[in-house]
Amino acid sequence: MVFVLIGLCLLFSVLTLKEQALESSRAIGQLVEQISKAYRKSDLVLTVGAFNKESVPFAKQLREELEKEGFSNTRMVVGIPRDLRLTLDDIKASGSEPAVIATSGDVIKWRVLERLGEKYPEFSGCEVLIPESYPWPDFLKRSNLLAIVDRIVVIAVIAIGMTMVIITGGIDLSVGSLIAVSAVIGTVVMKKLGGLAAADWVVLVGFIAGILSCGIIGGLGGFLVARFKVPPFITTLGIMLMGRGLAFMITGGFSIYQVPKALPWLGQGTSVGIPNTVIMLFFLYIIAHIFMSHTRLGRHIYAVGGNQEAARLSGVSVQYVIVFVYIISSLAAGLGGCIQASQLNTGTPNMGVMYELYVIAAVVVGGSSLSGGSGRILGTLIGVFVISVIQNGMNLLGIESYTQQVVLGLVILGAVLLDKARSSGALSGALSKKVRSVYRRRN
Amino acid sequence: MKQKAGTTKLILCIILLALLSSCTSKPKFKGKIGMTCMDLTNPFFKLIANLMQEEAAKYGYDIVALSGDQDPAKQNNQLSDFVAQSYDAIFLNPVDSKSAGEGVKKAYAAGIPVFTFDVQVTDEEANRLIISHIGSDNYQGGRLAGESMMKVTGDRGKIAIVNLPEVTSCILRVDGFKDYLKEHNSSLQIVTELSGKGNRNDAYAVTTDILQAHPAIVGIFAINDPSALGAYAAVKKANKLNQITLVGFDASPAGKQAVFEKKLYDSPQQFPRKMAKGTVQAFIKYLEGEDLPKNNFIRCAHYYYDDSVSDPGRVKEQW
Repeated sequence: MVFVLIGLCLLFSVLTLKEQALESSRAIGQLVEQISKAYRKSDLVLTVGAFNKESVPFAKQLREELEKEGFSNTRMVVGIPRDLRLTLDDIKASGSEPAVIATSGDVIKWRVLERLGEKYPEFSGCEVLIPESYPWPDFLKRSNLLAIVDRIVVIAVIAIGMTMVIITGGIDLSVGSLIAVSAVIGTVVMKKLGGLAAADWVVLVGFIAGILSCGIIGGLGGFLVARFKVPPFITTLGIMLMGRGLAFMITGGFSIYQVPKALPWLGQGTSVGIPNTVIMLFFLYIIAHIFMSHTRLGRHIYAVGGNQEAARLSGVSVQYVIVFVYIISSLAAGLGGCIQASQLNTGTPNMGVMYELYVIAAVVVGGSSLSGGSGRILGTLIGVFVISVIQNGMNLLGIESYTQQVVLGLVILGAVLLDKARSSGALSGALSKKVRSVYRRRN
Repeated sequence: MKQKAGTTKLILCIILLALLSSCTSKPKFKGKIGMTCMDLTNPFFKLIANLMQEEAAKYGYDIVALSGDQDPAKQNNQLSDFVAQSYDAIFLNPVDSKSAGEGVKKAYAAGIPVFTFDVQVTDEEANRLIISHIGSDNYQGGRLAGESMMKVTGDRGKIAIVNLPEVTSCILRVDGFKDYLKEHNSSLQIVTELSGKGNRNDAYAVTTDILQAHPAIVGIFAINDPSALGAYAAVKKANKLNQITLVGFDASPAGKQAVFEKKLYDSPQQFPRKMAKGTVQAFIKYLEGEDLPKNNFIRCAHYYYDDSVSDPGRVKEQW
């Protein structure tokens, strides 16, 4: 499955290759050289930057460099197209004319600049200069890689619990609704404890309230499954419906946005330059991996999934293990809800719709068997990445929503088929047969 | 073999011609605009997406239309992807008017102008960052529905509302409806408000139940045409067409037809065309450096039987 992931990354890297603006210091040097060759020092030079883009420091630096070169008549515009228009109007009113407008790639699309000749016929001698560009995939841009992690974090956290449930041979359909329950309870508690003006610790109290409520719900569900042998599918389906309704009831259908200033820290903040979500994911997966592979309870989870009767006879407390995994799954969903509330800075009752299916798909793509007994935590992480890379890549390519669902479904099926074929040896069997037949034909 | 080569050449020629003609007829490709709306399975938004694509193509822009599928987190991810791709603009129809704020802030921080349509972003900080908004005045539309309801019932009796409390624009419609009744000291009594989930099936089921609990109602206000038509089916089944008058909302083609067939008394009209073109125009004006109004509310208009008789759009349009 790692290879599928790498293949997808390569594919999207190739497909999203695009011209990107040159690194600013080199581009500035280039432009300064061009301008000082072609223009007099007294000519009016206008540098333009689009608001909040790399072109802002670009425009500033370019102007400074030009002034160092001796250009005495420079002006700078930073903002939206309207600001450029106002400046041009101003220049026109003062009766002068810009000799050259220098800017980076993103400003060149402004129609006020494109239609300069039409709108300002008196500026006919003005030239527009931009630096050269180089190709680099959008997919591999730092901002995009961070966006991928941003989107996986909720699903990845929940997938830990889901992997455990699936290894016991169960399923948990309630996680999507529990995201909403946790987010809503958490934010309502925050709102009650002071709302916008509340201290930072209130956020923690809200999170704990949200996560614990989910844990209690999960414990009840696990009890039904373990004690009364209600099929997990039905139990969690019931909880899914109840959870969703509960979330809407608590909020009356509205979003809770009166939340403390500290709420976005978890989902949007960074520590030592790394997003908090990434750090948290890293530790959660390490802990979960060690737990599943090196502790007694972790091995018991596999034993229960492999053969419940055998596990019971060899002294595993099956009921306890089952209740435990449903609690963990619900706690993870609760944590996921807190992260989502933090990412969106709101608690909304329609959060997490359909997430249970994405999580289950990720776990299965990651190599866990729905019939229980096998699966790996780190495999799940890869499964989560596969699914979110596909979603991100398709958005980058601008594929239509309807098509996206079809493709996602196909890729999930394809990935699982490939994995099945590989593990059962069918793939290598088919390949060797092919090789043999080719060999035979040659002889 | 020779014939095969000939066919290949022919095909190549055709492809070349097609490429050439496509090059000459289209304006030069300028860039991409990301558009995300609450639900593309709703024909209203599908129509808006198509109209936007049509309009933006005139200026060389491609619109990538995505569906938020009623999931605020999904829409937030889509906004992140638009930002990562550094699109030239974002047209946003928020699934949730509060939580969309975070995505708007991200786009602003990356220097991408955001235009909202139909539903506003209500997060105060994020709302300041929006370049401009265009949308129906849902509150005023709700008032129109209230006016019609008072008129047609003679301002007497019990009425029911089939609502959709998950969606802000629909909440505003109900607010406008109620405020109009209150301001005019109406003696209409709203006996129940239940969610028809905005579609025919659920509205049919919920109206059936309403008629069981409140058999004497004289009017139903449904917050969109699918709900109104679902409610109509339930009323018809219960043989109460003479007793109950229905008021819908949207004046969608199906709604217009229903008004024409006198199934609905009124369906305050929204103008998706104006909304779609207006959004693209706002973006072009922005690029031209022109001054833009922050909010552009399109007023709704009554749509009565008399309007439907001479309306060519009733049959022609598809959404």
